[in-house]
Amino acid sequence: MTVTFPQKGLPWLLLLPQLLVTAIFFLWPAEQALEQAFYQEDAFGLSREFIGLENFAALFTDPLYYQSMLTTLVFSFSVAIVGMSLALLLAVMADRVIRGKLAYQTLLIWPYAVAPALAGVLWWILFDPSMGPIALWLKSAGVDWNHYLNGNQAMILVVIASTWKQISYNFLFFLAGLQAVPRSLIEAAAIDGASPFKRFWTIVFPLLSPTTFFLLVVNLVYAFFETFGVIDATTKGGPGQSTTTLVYKVFNDGFVGLDLGGSAAQSVVLMAIVGLMTVIQFRFIERKVQYS
Amino acid sequence: MTDVILEKVGKTYPNGYHAIPSVDLSIEEGEFIVLVGPSGCGKSTLLRMVAGLESISTGELRIRGERMNEKEPAERDIAMVFQNYALYPHMSVYDNMAYGLKNRGMAKNLIEEKVSDVAAMLGLTELLQRKPRQLSGGQRQRVAMGRAMVRDPKVFLFDEPLSNLDAKLRVQMRVEIRQLQRKLGTTTLYVTHDQVEAMTLADRLVVLNKGKAEQIGTPMDLYNKPATPFVAAFIGSPSMNLIDANLTEQGIKISEALTLPLSHQHRGGIVWGIRPEHLEVSDEHNADFALRILAVESLGAETLIHGKVETELGNGDPMVVRLSGPHLPDVNSLMWLTAPVLHWHLFDAKTQQRLRD
Amino acid sequence: MIENRPWLTFASHATLLMGIALVALPVWMALVASTHPASAFGAGHIPLWFGDAGAETWGTVLFEKAGNGVDTPVWFMMLNSLIMALGITFGKIAISLLSAYAIVFFRFPFRNLCFWIIFMTLMLPVEVRIVPTYEVVANLDLLNSYTGLTLPLIASATATFLFRQCFLSIPGELVEAARMDGAGPWRFFFDILLPLSRTNIAALFVILFIYGWNQYLWPLLITTDDAYYTLVMSIKRMLSVTDGDIAWNQIMATTLLAMLPPVAVVIGMQKLFVKGLVDSEK
Repeated sequence: MTVTFPQKGLPWLLLLPQLLVTAIFFLWPAEQALEQAFYQEDAFGLSREFIGLENFAALFTDPLYYQSMLTTLVFSFSVAIVGMSLALLLAVMADRVIRGKLAYQTLLIWPYAVAPALAGVLWWILFDPSMGPIALWLKSAGVDWNHYLNGNQAMILVVIASTWKQISYNFLFFLAGLQAVPRSLIEAAAIDGASPFKRFWTIVFPLLSPTTFFLLVVNLVYAFFETFGVIDATTKGGPGQSTTTLVYKVFNDGFVGLDLGGSAAQSVVLMAIVGLMTVIQFRFIERKVQYS
Repeated sequence: MTDVILEKVGKTYPNGYHAIPSVDLSIEEGEFIVLVGPSGCGKSTLLRMVAGLESISTGELRIRGERMNEKEPAERDIAMVFQNYALYPHMSVYDNMAYGLKNRGMAKNLIEEKVSDVAAMLGLTELLQRKPRQLSGGQRQRVAMGRAMVRDPKVFLFDEPLSNLDAKLRVQMRVEIRQLQRKLGTTTLYVTHDQVEAMTLADRLVVLNKGKAEQIGTPMDLYNKPATPFVAAFIGSPSMNLIDANLTEQGIKISEALTLPLSHQHRGGIVWGIRPEHLEVSDEHNADFALRILAVESLGAETLIHGKVETELGNGDPMVVRLSGPHLPDVNSLMWLTAPVLHWHLFDAKTQQRLRD
Repeated sequence: MIENRPWLTFASHATLLMGIALVALPVWMALVASTHPASAFGAGHIPLWFGDAGAETWGTVLFEKAGNGVDTPVWFMMLNSLIMALGITFGKIAISLLSAYAIVFFRFPFRNLCFWIIFMTLMLPVEVRIVPTYEVVANLDLLNSYTGLTLPLIASATATFLFRQCFLSIPGELVEAARMDGAGPWRFFFDILLPLSRTNIAALFVILFIYGWNQYLWPLLITTDDAYYTLVMSIKRMLSVTDGDIAWNQIMATTLLAMLPPVAVVIGMQKLFVKGLVDSEK
């Protein structure tokens, strides 16, 4: 048990700024979203009408919403899996080398600091169908690259840009995880005659599973919420709806489509999803704390 | 003059746990009192109640006649040395010692004077600019004491201050603490679970068990006349041999086959005790009983012999004998012993109280 | 490694170098593109080697105007970004330190409730509640203001948790010693707690600075006045001009300038950055 001070009023004073900001900019808007989700409002905000669950009903009968859900899932898992695989490969290599470990680390982690929107722009010009070097090279190889028109290609572009930014994060955590694997286990396996490749898959990788699971959750959360900039700066959710994720749709329907009720209903659904993910993450972290 | 008085002081936690039912203790000025007991006996809680770090649920604490129950720790004019020293890691030795004085608004030159005096007394002068992490365990211990001493408090409180030191340093610091306390003449309350530390430091000892003071007295009182089997077992190393027995007309009946003659008016279940060092080697004809030897521990200056009291029905109660000098009896052989009546301790099995001799 | 296998070591280095090259590729391209005049891009491909218009482009965007419909120079938007990033960083650290202090070192009614309210902010990222938050800020008349840029983003459950964790690891005896030494709550906070949390604060500072600098959607929504444009969001405004008129050289130079400060922070304070990253995920 921690030792505490006896004052009773002071803690409230200390908490006041945080609670105020939370109440004004988090709880109040959340409450507003909840309220708006049950109303229909005209575009000018002049009148509104209580319509019960109609916004939700409209949402869950809208094929576009399901399409957006699917898009989100494809996008998130692609980002998580591609990013984690590449990062794991690099981390394993970095763990092996003796010289220049820090230099490699430095040169691999900096993309973390690049804003998602900028990451999107950087990859866009490489893939720009009329002038991007990669797009031109793909064309000469027989692939007709045009992410302005081809939904799948647009998806690939935002996945690449989002993954690029997140590799550094995955790399750092995998490297830390690898360095925490006891040397004695690997040595024991080597004495038992396991090859380096076999050692990795039978000893190291299973021991990394807590890190892997943790990163999977973090990557999914990242792909869900923090890639808004990538999508907005490059594809704006298009072509068609092919890169409209759920978060992008909330923004798009609310600010561009001015469907405030529908956007609010989506916000509520998203809050529920984030809540669920947070609980999973928290559960996991609690367990991790217990074990370590 | 009585300096510190604990009157029916008790502690009950909010969850209803009765940590300390009621303790009475009055401490004379300049006295060194040691609270000793096994872990969880409430000794640290009691000390922290005196310090003001735990509230007092019942009873009253007075220091120099003034009620202290509601006072903040800083207002009680006490200083404490913690088990892990609790030195501020980011402050130099000087700042660690000066911090309490600064908070009390003492003039800077006066602080400097006090800190350098105390530092000189503790041999810390050279270390004043160092950070705690650059010090050895013993040096940290000294800084912690110095921090307490510069305040010139009415009462020193020590919470197991030596338990983090190695054995050799512990002995050295023990002597040093005792010397300093004598020199300063400050009333001291000291908590430890180590009975050797307790015996060597204390003017008077308080043996605590499950929140109750089993006995309060000088080290020799406790050694010679322990009030309960708990105290008897706790004070002295190796601890006293205690055997459940029955007091009958014939004497102390330890088993069907073994009765030690004694005339005593008490009847019924008792605990019979004798210290390992009071058992004497004898021969078959004069002995009170025989011991089947199980193990021999030769320590050079003394030998500890572990065995079981031999009866016709097989091996009985375990017993330890302490002999001075080297001895090498065979394991599994019999050793004949006498137990001089003078050194017997008898306790009522029911009340756990010492029977009058 | 256990066995000495030169080819494996070689393969490791080769893979890492390839990884580095891949990671650096887009930045390389941007750097090259920024050194050519805008007209070079109409030719159907981006030149693959440096041109000679670099100094001119960089000078223009930095000191005159970023171009592509944004008339503000980059240095000015950098200043705005800096104000926003530092405002968010200091704000988050200050209010999180205070609330973590209250939660760890005091006992008061509804303590758990407060903890949960702060915890809930984790579940409400700004992207999710974007429309109503915008309305709240508009109602409070905070559009086009530094307060509007920073204040709504400074509540932070992550920072509060981090400091809570850090405070919980401070030994209780130290608090008791401070109380014995006559230190009240404020003195303890400033004399003991803050100095002991130094590295945690610094590590978090790095992470939060990057977070603040890279804000995109929020400034995009609430600033319509160029006086409050931040660098990262200005890219979006620059991309909004008609396709044929995009001056890619200026966009690339602006993009590189926009990522320079946070990247410099990550590389320059790598140790603190790694610590901050690991700490804030616990």
